Amino acid sequence: MDWLRELARRLSMLMHRRQFDADLEEEVRLHLELRQEEQFESGMTPNEARAAARRRFGNAMYLKEESRIAWGWEWFENLAQDVRYGFRMLRKSPGFMAVAILTLALGIGANTAIFSVINGVLLSPLPYRNPKQLVVIKEHDSLPNVMDIQRQTRAFSQGGGINVDRMDYTGGTEPVQVRVGFIDAGFLETLGVQPMLGRIISSGEDVRGGPRLAMVSNHFWQNYLGSDPHAVGNTIQLGGNSYTVIGVMPASFAPPAEHADVFVSLSVSDPGAGAERDLHFMHTYWRLKAGVTLAQAQADMAAIDRRLAEQYPAEEKERKSQLVPLHEWLVGDVRSALLVLFGAVGLVLLIACANFASLLMMRAVAGRQELVIRAALGAGRGRLIRKTLTESTLLSVFGGAAGLLFAKWGTSMLLALRPEELARLSGIHMDTRVLLFVLVVSVMTGIVFGMAPVWIAARADVAGALKESARSTTASTMGHSIRKILVISELAVALVLLVGAGLLIKGFSRLRSMNPGFNSANVMTMYLQLPETRYGEIPKQTQFRRELLTRLDTLPGVQVAMVSDIPLGGNYVGHRLVIDGRPPVAVGGEPLVQTLSVMGDYFHVMQIPLRAGREFTPLDREGQPLVAILNEEIVREFFPHEDPIGVRIWWAGDVGPPRWMTVIGVVGDVKHSGLNQPADPAVYEPFSQSDERWRRFMTLVIRARDASPGLVAEVKEQIWSLDSQIPVSDVHAMDELIAVSLAQQRFNMLLLGLFAALALILAAVGIYGAMAYAVNQRTHEIGIRTALGAQRRDVLRLVMRDGAKIAFFGIASGIAGALALTRLMASLLFEVKPTDPATFAGVALLLALVALAACYIPARRAMRVDPMVALRYE
Amino acid sequence: MHRNEIPPGTLYLLILRTLARSCEMHGYEIANSIQQISDDVLQVEEGSLYPALQRMLIKGWVTAKWGTTAGNRRARYYQLTPAGRKQLDVEMSQFERVIGAITRVIEAV
Repeated sequence: MDWLRELARRLSMLMHRRQFDADLEEEVRLHLELRQEEQFESGMTPNEARAAARRRFGNAMYLKEESRIAWGWEWFENLAQDVRYGFRMLRKSPGFMAVAILTLALGIGANTAIFSVINGVLLSPLPYRNPKQLVVIKEHDSLPNVMDIQRQTRAFSQGGGINVDRMDYTGGTEPVQVRVGFIDAGFLETLGVQPMLGRIISSGEDVRGGPRLAMVSNHFWQNYLGSDPHAVGNTIQLGGNSYTVIGVMPASFAPPAEHADVFVSLSVSDPGAGAERDLHFMHTYWRLKAGVTLAQAQADMAAIDRRLAEQYPAEEKERKSQLVPLHEWLVGDVRSALLVLFGAVGLVLLIACANFASLLMMRAVAGRQELVIRAALGAGRGRLIRKTLTESTLLSVFGGAAGLLFAKWGTSMLLALRPEELARLSGIHMDTRVLLFVLVVSVMTGIVFGMAPVWIAARADVAGALKESARSTTASTMGHSIRKILVISELAVALVLLVGAGLLIKGFSRLRSMNPGFNSANVMTMYLQLPETRYGEIPKQTQFRRELLTRLDTLPGVQVAMVSDIPLGGNYVGHRLVIDGRPPVAVGGEPLVQTLSVMGDYFHVMQIPLRAGREFTPLDREGQPLVAILNEEIVREFFPHEDPIGVRIWWAGDVGPPRWMTVIGVVGDVKHSGLNQPADPAVYEPFSQSDERWRRFMTLVIRARDASPGLVAEVKEQIWSLDSQIPVSDVHAMDELIAVSLAQQRFNMLLLGLFAALALILAAVGIYGAMAYAVNQRTHEIGIRTALGAQRRDVLRLVMRDGAKIAFFGIASGIAGALALTRLMASLLFEVKPTDPATFAGVALLLALVALAACYIPARRAMRVDPMVALRYE
Repeated sequence: MHRNEIPPGTLYLLILRTLARSCEMHGYEIANSIQQISDDVLQVEEGSLYPALQRMLIKGWVTAKWGTTAGNRRARYYQLTPAGRKQLDVEMSQFERVIGAITRVIEAV
């Protein structure tokens, strides 16, 4: 406890430092006075007495200092003094301070913004119980298979599946479509969600013919149930049936990858689809038992797959379930993009730091005389280093603080730009981890990059430096070469970033100019789904569709058609293709093709070109011969050497007598799954000839000469005049869907482009600063040269040659670095090689021009040097 | 007359012993007292008392408070604490051990 009391005494001294100094001063003065009086009384003159007293006392200044040091606060006082001194020095050169702080703020701000996204997306745990145990099976599966896996597994403690589909909710003021998660009882249990109100469904209720129960999302509860705390027990109308609300989810809960407003049991709500073993439409989540590794679970899963394949050869022959940790699966696509961006932004910081170091060094060289004088007066080398470091750390901390402001602004910009993949993952904000990141980065920057001038300071050769002028000291030439290296590295790093951005921009423009296979301009889309209760039978559906199109055709200046799944909408139905007359393929081995149902003049409205044969006509309807139209991809793949027109095709696995469809035409390919995806083989068939009752959904495509805002309302009115209970949703312009499909690429391109621009500016400032300084240092020399007859042109050449040399080395090493680094971003590029020569050349040229322009300004100043002034300057 | 520097490491001992003799003293009195009692042989560099006193304050061997001298001047008076008394014993026995050893070495025939 003694040390504690001792610490308390030391602290109290620190608190009362002023008092302490005054006390000590008074004490010493009293001592001297008393001694002086005593000597005086013993017969000395007053002067002698004072001298004797002082002699006997010793060096009062030194002893007072010793007394203070005894308390052990010297370091603190020095620090406080250094900080005060640092502030004063910085205030004296506001321009230097502003440039240094701004440089760092840009670098640190950009880093912080990206780090907060990385922190939210990659580092934060998922909002589920023990999220590390959660895995997904990549492949979709059917409910009977899910139940078999649940029974047979030895690796999972829990598991369950979900499929989101739309249903109409008709309890409110107008019919709306809500997203309904069709789940089994295991789904919510596996994620470990605790309902905010009520309970979740039990496995006893999750059976065919069980009660119709609904668990609603917090969002649904707020928007449609008025946040009623007694909502549990109410009934809601979904798809024409009454469901009893048994639970309300907390606001923090959302399924990992799906968006759902209501959760109902699949077995209860859609027993037909739920019972089909080969309808693989559920996405399943599983929880590993404690201590089971992913590899063990994968092996266990393979065994289950084998058993299922043996048991159900017709449906499950090709089973191959792949397990992926949930977190990895969710961030998979975004991860590489984020890491590339983080790398890029790290490089920006590096450039900023190089500039910072370069600035500090110029300052150190300029302030070298002062440093030397301090050293000559006995300042310890440690103390000098500390003083310099304090100044740079102060600057970097200010830079970090200003960077936080940039970051705050940058993060909200990122969030506004973020693609769908990031939007799903919430939690992007500045938390303590982000703040800690900023603090560490700023302080480290200050210390590490403040070392360069310290190095110069530490070599301060007192005697030599005092004799020489600052201009010609060895330390300053050494500083100059370090600065050259810094600028070369800056240019190199900037080139790497510019090449990265250039590659992304080129890829993006390739992607943009990709022909999607249709003309998206002036096309509106909206999604409808017919309720099963009234439109369960195909003739009813066909009648509605035909009547709707007839009515919409009366709208002036409008062309309308409908399709089961629009391009870039994210969905399609696949069927296994059988071609008449070809040798049979093993069951389950038939090729999978996209199947799209259309009605109206779909190809005409979308401007999908007809390549061969004819389009559908209104005569291709129920009761008439079945017809189909193929896209070019399917022809390329399956009819490379024959005319497909007249060939008959059918779907594998269809029951009943074969329903052969005759191919009547071929149309151009459409990029259905994304502009960066290849076109899938696709078959179009008329809605009216379909025998699939479940195809109750459709998307209207409306091409209008002028897309007035009133059009949507008019179309809705027509729909509701036909049936007031049909909800309309997903009203989009086709151009909008294209933009959404490009969002991730655009995001990457914009950010990397921004960073590259930042890097370019910083590097330009860097080379400008170095050249300006060099010119300033050489004013004398240039003056002599001019006096000896050098022309302005010669002076210009002299300076520019230096700059060009730096630029050349910077660009050369940058190209080497870029060649090594750009392969890391290969996965982000679309149809551009990471070593695209055109991009490399263009970027090198751009950087060379910027560098030379940055040199030109100081070079011009050098040209105007007046020899008389320069010589007198000494 | 010739004055000797005090042996190194004994300054604490001298101050502690001096303070132990009276109830409280200020710095000048301590310096004078050491000198007089040693018949002017021991010469303290007077100023060095003060850093030593500060270190003793930190250790908690002495306390200080402001008071008034006979001549009606403000002075800081130092006083021994119980911890200081204990420390005095430690220093004394250490000193005696060293002196004893030195004496034995010197007087050995």
